Order: sequence, then C-alpha cells, then structure tokens
Amino acid sequence: MSEETIVRGQLPVRPKQPLRWITTAAGVAAVVVLHALAIQGTGFEPGLLVDGWKGMASFVADAFPPDLSWEKTIRPGLDATLVTLWIGLLGTTFSVPFALLLAILAARTTTPHHLAYQASRAVLSFFRAVPDIVFALIFVTAVGLGPFAGVLALICHNTGVMGKLWAESMEECDSGPQEALRTAGANRIQQVANATLPMVVPQFVGLLLYRFDVNVRSSLVLGLVGAGGIGLLINQSIKSFRFDAMVTDILIVLVLIIAVDQLSAWVRRRLAA
Amino acid sequence: MDPALLSVRGLRKSFGNRPVLNNVGFDVRAGELVAFLGANGSGKSTTLRCVMGIAQPDAGVVAVDGDDLAKLPWRQLQEARRRTAMIFQKIHLVPRRTALDNVCAGALARIPTGRSLSPLFFPRSIQLEALDCLDRVGLADRAFERVGRLSGGQQQRVAVARALCQRADVVLADEPVSALDPHAADQVMALLHHLAHVEKLAVAAVLHQPDLALRHADRCIGLLHGTMAFDLPSSDVGPVHLDALYAPDRVAAA
Repeated sequence: MSEETIVRGQLPVRPKQPLRWITTAAGVAAVVVLHALAIQGTGFEPGLLVDGWKGMASFVADAFPPDLSWEKTIRPGLDATLVTLWIGLLGTTFSVPFALLLAILAARTTTPHHLAYQASRAVLSFFRAVPDIVFALIFVTAVGLGPFAGVLALICHNTGVMGKLWAESMEECDSGPQEALRTAGANRIQQVANATLPMVVPQFVGLLLYRFDVNVRSSLVLGLVGAGGIGLLINQSIKSFRFDAMVTDILIVLVLIIAVDQLSAWVRRRLAA
Repeated sequence: MDPALLSVRGLRKSFGNRPVLNNVGFDVRAGELVAFLGANGSGKSTTLRCVMGIAQPDAGVVAVDGDDLAKLPWRQLQEARRRTAMIFQKIHLVPRRTALDNVCAGALARIPTGRSLSPLFFPRSIQLEALDCLDRVGLADRAFERVGRLSGGQQQRVAVARALCQRADVVLADEPVSALDPHAADQVMALLHHLAHVEKLAVAAVLHQPDLALRHADRCIGLLHGTMAFDLPSSDVGPVHLDALYAPDRVAAA
C-alpha cells in the first residue's frame, strides 16, 4: 500500500475485498429463508383478511358511536384507569431498591466479586425471562384476584428488566472518577456511592420513566387476567358484546398513555438541560 | 536538603514482551516540583501508574517517606497510599456534584462508610476542611457550583483541592494541563509550583510542554524508550537534551 504513489486529484484504487459479495448474498438468502419459515409458521395469509372484512365491518359498526354515558361507562372507566395507573406506579417504584441492589452487583465495574456478578446476572435473567403475566397468575393463587397481584407481578418483572438496564448504563459510564476515588483510598461502597451512581443519575431516571411508561401499559394487559383496572373492564365489555363501551375505555387509555408519555418526556428534557 | 518523600529505584515493566520501563529511578523531595518529559510512549504515565499502584511493576522499589510499599503490611500500605494523590489529564471529577462535594470525596478514607453514602451525611469537619482546600486553590467562592459548570482550568484546580483534602504530601499529576488552554495551563502549573514551594509537598508532573516544565519545575526528568535520558535541574536543560528526547520519534515517522 505504501509503495503506491498518491496522485493529486485522483482517487487511489480501493483495495479489493473478493469475498464480500458472497457474504452479502449469503446474508440476504438467510433472511429470505427465515421469513419463508416464519410466514408458514404463523399462517400468515392476507386473503383471509380480505374475505373476512364483513365481520370487522359489523364489529366497527357496533362500536361506533362510542358509549359516552357518564354513569354507565365513563366514570367506571376513569376509576378503573386510575387503578391501572396505580398498579404501574407501584410496580415501578417498589422494584427500585431490588433493581438497584442487583444492578450494582451485576455491573462489572461495581460488583464486589466475580461470583456475585454471575449470581445477580442469573437472578436478573430469571425475572426478565418470566413474563409479568405469568407472575400475575402465580400471585393470584396467593393473594387472590385484584390489583395487588398485578403490583407484585410488575415488581418482579420490572426488577429483572430495570436491573439489567441500570447495570449496563453503569458499565458504560466513564470509570475515571471511580478510579480517582480508589487511588484516594475510598472503599468500593464509597466509590459506587460517590462516583458511579452520581454519574449515571440522568440515565437511571430516564430508564425509570421509560419503565413506568411500559409498566402502565403492561398493567392494562394484567387486567385481562384478573388484576383489575381498565384491562378488566375492556375484557368485560368484549365478553358482553358492549363494543361501544369498549371503544370509550380504549379512548380513556389512549389519553392516559399520552399523558404518561408527555410527562416522562418533559422530565427527561429537564434532566438533560 | 529535604529528604526524598518519594523514591523510586530500578523500576521495570513490560507489556507482553515489549519493555516499557527499564531501570527507572528518581527521587522527589518535599518542596520540589519535578517534571517528567518524553515523547508519546516513552513510559512517563506508566511510571506514575506504577508508583500509584494502578499498574503493577515487574521489578523495582517504590518508597514513600523511606517505606518500601511492597513490604508494608496492609494497613500501613493504605496509609502510604493516602499520602500519595493523583491528578489526571481527564480530571475525573463528578460533573453533577458541587465542587465542595467533589473535594470532600478526597477524604473518603477518613469518613465512615455509613456517612459517605451521600454528601448530605459528610461530617461537618470534613466539609470545613474541603472548603479550606478549595480556598488554597483559589476557588472557595465556587464551592457550591456544580463542577460541570466550571471551566476546564477551574475543574483541574478542584481536582488539586481534592488531592489536598486527601492530606497527601506527594502529588503525582499525569498530564494535568494537556486539555487546558495556555492561560489555564499556566495557572494550574503555578498552583502546583506553589504547593511544592510554599506548602512543602513533593510534586511530580508528566508534561507535554517543555516550556511549561522549564518555567515552573525545579527539576526535569527525561524518559526515552523507557530509560532515564537525563535528570537535571531545569536551568541545566537545554535544546540538546530536548532534541534527544523528541527527535527519534520524528526520524522514525519520516
């Protein structure tokens, strides 16, 4: 390469990579095959949708106009939405201590020992792998149907997800201040409390708000399996063919989701500034 | 003459089979500012990192106030480490915390773990001492400013204050002014000079600016490919010495 003379105003010949098109072609072929298998595996057939349009049309016709009676639909809808919001809120905040502890143990830069690192990673993976809806079904057997089971389920699942996200943001953050405190004789707890954690506060809060957003939506689904809230109401509306009431409930949910989203965006903007 | 506070003998270190330090030895006395000069990769930073115990030397003796660090029992080693403080090119403060809280962090070894979980619990005596340290670097009026809002030169002076709050009497600075503009660099070097001459600390600084070294340091140590090229009073260092340090790399690159 160094022998080649660079002529002014002329682009040198790009070095050839002979195997490049083969790997590209192989990659494209693999993606095509995977999609063919997936279409077969899911029974993906647009024709069915076209043939069945009448069913959808009658469903939509039943659903509109939405039922806007205050006593019968809107007020119970608002009450239930509030319960959904509370489930999401407690599920997020009550998982903070567990997520924080596990995250510190599971971040390579802050873990006290290799074994603690492996063990906490395994615990986090377990809580993440079990869906919140499964946790909800398990807790229902202990505390009965209702929002409390939903809160417990979200605490478990969210600990797994947020713990992992927090651990990763601690591993990514600049370890310089931590090293500086170590050379000054600070022990590991002091290093974490006075260098690592204050460095990642904005990321932590951002991820916390993101998880709050997700958890509010999850608690909706948990309502479908008996954890109360607006999800339960939607389920009942469908079962009793009151599709117009269902649409009202969904509109209320839409407002809630937008409000939570706006709130977390606003807080994150303030943090970044 | 004051006895050597930091004394290094026969330091050797290799990365893989590439030797980076070969028989490096020097003394830094209380009341003295010593500058390390040398091209990139000549082993200046590695020398400081070996002294600080961040890197492990393959051979050699590092002694603080006459005590060989390798032979000290754990508790006395901690005490010796407390007496040596490091200042970094990238400053390594916590930008979201105030200058005062960052300086207090230098004293963490003296704060019980329970009271060090948040700056709110830091003992009052430590906070007063930190304020005094900030005053010594001329930044007492910025104590409650977030470090991220200070200029680079001010941040580096806060880092010096943190070293003071550690009650270090040996201060090692790894390219403390490389990220600073010429005026701020001069200010920080003047501060290090003041710490050595007025407060009688032993200060060693790796520098990439020979002019700053010659202006502020009492002694200059030149490293060339991991070996000692010279160890002379600044007034005796001339163009010949500096050319010998920096020229070989230019020849190799040409």
